[in-house]
Amino acid sequence: MSQKTVKFEIATPEKVVFKKEIKQVTVPTTSGEITVLPNHIPLISTLKPGVIEIKDENEEDEIISMAGGFIEVLREKIVILADTAERAQELDEERIKEAKTKAEEKKQEISDKDEVRFANISAQLDKEMARLKALTKWRNLKR
Amino acid sequence: MTNSKEIKKRIKSITNTKKITKAMEMVAAAKMRRSIDAVLKTRTYANLAWETLINIATSLKKQGSLNHPLIEKRDKTNKELIVLISSNRGLCGGFNSAIINKAIKSIKLHSKNSEFILIGKRGESVGRRYGYNIVAQYEKPDTNPKVADIQAIAKEIIDDYVAKKYDKIFLAYTDFASTAKQVPRIRQILPVDIEAEDKYLGATGKSEKIKIDKEYIKEKEGKHLLEGQLFKYEPDENEVLNSILPRLIEVQLFQGLLESNASEHSARMAAMHQATSAANDLVDELTLYYNKARQAAITSEIAEISAGAAILNS
Repeated sequence: MSQKTVKFEIATPEKVVFKKEIKQVTVPTTSGEITVLPNHIPLISTLKPGVIEIKDENEEDEIISMAGGFIEVLREKIVILADTAERAQELDEERIKEAKTKAEEKKQEISDKDEVRFANISAQLDKEMARLKALTKWRNLKR
Repeated sequence: MTNSKEIKKRIKSITNTKKITKAMEMVAAAKMRRSIDAVLKTRTYANLAWETLINIATSLKKQGSLNHPLIEKRDKTNKELIVLISSNRGLCGGFNSAIINKAIKSIKLHSKNSEFILIGKRGESVGRRYGYNIVAQYEKPDTNPKVADIQAIAKEIIDDYVAKKYDKIFLAYTDFASTAKQVPRIRQILPVDIEAEDKYLGATGKSEKIKIDKEYIKEKEGKHLLEGQLFKYEPDENEVLNSILPRLIEVQLFQGLLESNASEHSARMAAMHQATSAANDLVDELTLYYNKARQAAITSEIAEISAGAAILNS
């Protein structure tokens, strides 16, 4: 009766990024990294920016970078609602590095009084870091 | 002769106008298709976010601890805010006047003490003609809007709401029903009304309902999960609620924007189609006049010549 795979979906407000049967998925929740297997108990958790690692039904790995959101584990499916998400193979290293340096520079400039802008830049930086991490992981996998 | 020349000039100018309206029609059609695609893509996220919210809210309600500031209804409504999505440009038939009228009518039903945030330039007339206060005005992203485009607006209205500047916040947008039909709608976005099952934005009709096998959970987790509290929440319910509510409001605004975009483009397409066919009719009519005038000129010339010949012969 226990299933070996489970339906999995990553949705962002702009589109559905990923939809497949999977064997396991590892996500960075705010209270730590967890791996979800089929037949997990129903769970809703907030996610922080980071890397999602997926093993699909054919044992193939997939790496996705994500900028925060939620995971919802149901009996028959797992859903991630992400603010933004991109597949690692679609990422462009040069552009990420550029964006990262820019964000770092801006972070330096901002005085500590400007909390809102500081938070925005930090979020941007986290996002770029997640992308970079996803890319590195993807490369290591393919090697 | 001057008459037929003038008609010819008019025919030419109308033909030119026709070319423009035809081109605009085609551009609008292409943009509309893209906008409809975008609307469909956001539905999954909106549905799932809404369902999650309902789940958490029901669970919290059973525990009697549902008192999030964005959900709680206020006893008295002093001031309302309407976020009105209109177009940046005209030439789109009744698109703008329909949504503005709808918004004005809804104010009359509620309170006179309302203010507006405009997305798109054409909504300005709520201030000019009807005298309502416009708090802010944003340019509407016409093609390929991103969530980031409305994040600032979402943040502003949430902050204003929490600061009790407004007691209710509505979104006025145009729902895209089909290429021939667009329906202006007013929708309450704050406080988040968890009881109102939303047919248009958020949970749309055919959404897959989250089904939970209660027996399964009992067997699996037994004592850990109380009756009615079917999910495990990490870090906890309120934390999840805190981060999901702003997202939900963002996605609602975003969807409203996309629906309005699709509606605007299809309204423009229809208006331009009408203009093109009106130009066609006019050209046909003028061509007829032109030919008649030409014929008349020829006839009178012949009459003159033959009259002249008759005089010479006699």
